[in-house]
Amino acid sequence: MYPEKLEKHLLKVQKPGRYTGGELGSIVKSKDSVDISYAFCFPDTYEIGMSHLGMKILYSLVNSREDARCERVFAPDVDMEEIMRREGIPLYALESGDYVKDFDIVGFTMQYELSYTNVLNMLSLSGLPVRSKDRPSLTPVVIAGGACVCNFEPMAEFVDLTLIGDGEEVTMELIDLLKECKASGKSKAEFLERAAQIPGVYAPSLYDVSYNDDGTISAVTPKGNAPAKVVKRNVADLDSMFAPESFVVPFIETVFDRTSVEIFRGCIRGCRFCQAGFISRPLREKSPEEVKRQCEAICNSTGYDEISLCSLSTSDYRGLEPLLTSMLPWANENEINVALPSLRADNFPKELMEQLNTVRRSGLTFAPEAGTQRLRDVINKNITEEEVLSACARAFEGGWSAVKLYFMIGLPTETPEDIEGIANLAQAVVEEYYRCENKPKGKGVNVSISVASFVPKPFTPFQWEPQNTPDELIEKQDLLMKSVKSRKITVSRHVPRTSFLEGVFARGDRKLCDVIETAWKNGCKFDSWEEHLNFDVWMESFRQHGIDPYFYSARKRSFDEILPYDHIDMGVTKEFLMRENEKAHEGITTPSCREKCSGCGAARLNGGVCNEMRKTVV
Amino acid sequence: MKCVRLWYKKSGLAVFTSHLDMNRCFTRAVRRADIPLWYTEGFNPHPYMTFLLPLPLGTAGEREPIDIRLTDDISNGEIKARLNAALPDGLSITDVAEPKDKADKIASALYEISLELAGEEEAEAFAKKADEIVSSGELNAEKKSKKGIKAVNLCEMILRFEAAANGKTVGISAVLASGNSSNLAAALLIDSLEKKSEIEIQKTRITRKEIYKENFEPFE
Repeated sequence: MYPEKLEKHLLKVQKPGRYTGGELGSIVKSKDSVDISYAFCFPDTYEIGMSHLGMKILYSLVNSREDARCERVFAPDVDMEEIMRREGIPLYALESGDYVKDFDIVGFTMQYELSYTNVLNMLSLSGLPVRSKDRPSLTPVVIAGGACVCNFEPMAEFVDLTLIGDGEEVTMELIDLLKECKASGKSKAEFLERAAQIPGVYAPSLYDVSYNDDGTISAVTPKGNAPAKVVKRNVADLDSMFAPESFVVPFIETVFDRTSVEIFRGCIRGCRFCQAGFISRPLREKSPEEVKRQCEAICNSTGYDEISLCSLSTSDYRGLEPLLTSMLPWANENEINVALPSLRADNFPKELMEQLNTVRRSGLTFAPEAGTQRLRDVINKNITEEEVLSACARAFEGGWSAVKLYFMIGLPTETPEDIEGIANLAQAVVEEYYRCENKPKGKGVNVSISVASFVPKPFTPFQWEPQNTPDELIEKQDLLMKSVKSRKITVSRHVPRTSFLEGVFARGDRKLCDVIETAWKNGCKFDSWEEHLNFDVWMESFRQHGIDPYFYSARKRSFDEILPYDHIDMGVTKEFLMRENEKAHEGITTPSCREKCSGCGAARLNGGVCNEMRKTVV
Repeated sequence: MKCVRLWYKKSGLAVFTSHLDMNRCFTRAVRRADIPLWYTEGFNPHPYMTFLLPLPLGTAGEREPIDIRLTDDISNGEIKARLNAALPDGLSITDVAEPKDKADKIASALYEISLELAGEEEAEAFAKKADEIVSSGELNAEKKSKKGIKAVNLCEMILRFEAAANGKTVGISAVLASGNSSNLAAALLIDSLEKKSEIEIQKTRITRKEIYKENFEPFE
């Protein structure tokens, strides 16, 4: 429900269905019937936020409590924001229409760095001061979770707490504590001190950061009882963990207009550029029986006719074959399309793809990531050219005539030969098509290559590496365009300026808080949307605060430098990441967790593949 | 294969759902209700479902027709009960019946429009002005279509029109041309009246009450 004042404006904005609530499956509880009200905020528009699986899990989980309610909040689009500001309508939550500022917890899920300004904008639209120190009362507590909070220092002065790692258990513990503190009239300071004692909870205000003359960090000092290291939370057994069996079905079309079920967390691969793969270790699988049960339950309750099995590397799921064998008859009978994103070219199962093909055909994408074997070894993407080509050949024989290949440019040690290698690999795929005897009749092939710009991320072996500047990236993109000779190959590239900002914030420190606030005050928001990115305002904000953004993005760090997030423990140890960095520069690959344990440190978090490995050793 | 006409009501928050999204919304509801819907047999099978006279975004509907095709026999009462259990708030099935008339028989529709104005005086003035404009026989507006923008005289598409002020609201009852050959959206009429009368409307609520064939006979 929306505030009444808004009604007459709803038909003047694009897609008003984003602002009304009332969708099937939304859970409406009155404020008075619960002790804790949680506003779950996604710092982007409704269509994007409603596609996010994490929100669905936590929404259902919090609402499963009798004493709490969870409501959804999204960033209003520009046209709606203008009306809300003009008419003095504060940001509200979709279920009840209650104002966000009246909630006990305002929680943001941080999936990408370029949504940082949206967090400030949503706080301000709610009528809340953006800085933690300017919000003296106990509630609302402003918290954040998600991938970005493994280094949330650039946002440290805005949020009260971050929840690090898997959110399910820690969210519940935090709600319990806040309920108690609220009932006993505790102050915000008392609450934050106690919250910092919950494993996985980080209270940035309880840490002092001091700097060297060259701008690097000299020390991070915890105050009072705050832990010297905050260790991420890890849900050891996914089968017994809560998973939603129904959730909100939007009236309007969303970006990811289908339902999804998680099949595992973590990854065994260790691709050295991939933050998700390292920070979500160890790999923990759901059983195929449980996945099937959840898929059926969700399709029945939502009515979706497409289901996506989510993970970081679907074909590494040991239960994939039994799962599909038992699930496909049900899917076919009910006209349900099963999508398998994130397949690897080296273990892509042809028979399974043929079965999947029976309802509706989806696209086929492989991610070689780099153009030459040398560079693929550097990044530990253990895939050979032959494997890519034979996977494509199998796809062509199966009737596909279009494949998409993902690459990155700007990777450490990259040379012009590696860039040309991307074009050569795409060309080899084209030739593979024409060699293939059972290719689709009378059809040409289309190989589309998508090149992203590499962004070095915290908690990866490349966290010490310099990022290419936008100019260097454009030069490399141009070289790629020149190297592509065939019309069967289409190239799509990304704007290097967004990757540059992402690179600054990914490894940034608290000095960036001022920059973000200034940029937001000067109109920056929706920075991940090319049409909204206001690059000049960003550069001016850096200048105004005497900050050189290239200090964060383009500088090579030494192993002994204190990184802004060294007091956060994501499972993998710094020593392991150093070893991996050295191996990268020597071009030596590391086997997957299932082949050989590489001693990354995540085993102490318990669960999943580490226990499998222990059993085989014993 | 059996063809069935669903009559549905759209009100409340569902009014802010566009026609394309209604399609998705009903497809999912039919799936949740486990109704044996016939799927097209093309490259990308999709359930057969036709909205006979799509409702514009923002307009409520009392009795709106959708045609579906079924693969198995299921009683009309069962379809209604199952769908009503599966539909979100704001959407409900009022009736399930054999399709009697073909879609091209649709000629006009009855709208009930409630306008809220700044005050009683403005409401009086607007009702009077609106009547004058409509009886003058000329209200020009630009109509957007797939082929581009074209200037039309809306009065040629107004079959009946009555406006009456009550406090600060104005109630309008209007029959407007509808269907494939000539169609007037109630929202366009109200916008045009607002512009021409130069009296600002605070809030507009539009409901399509009934769909007619020629001579105001109900479309069945």
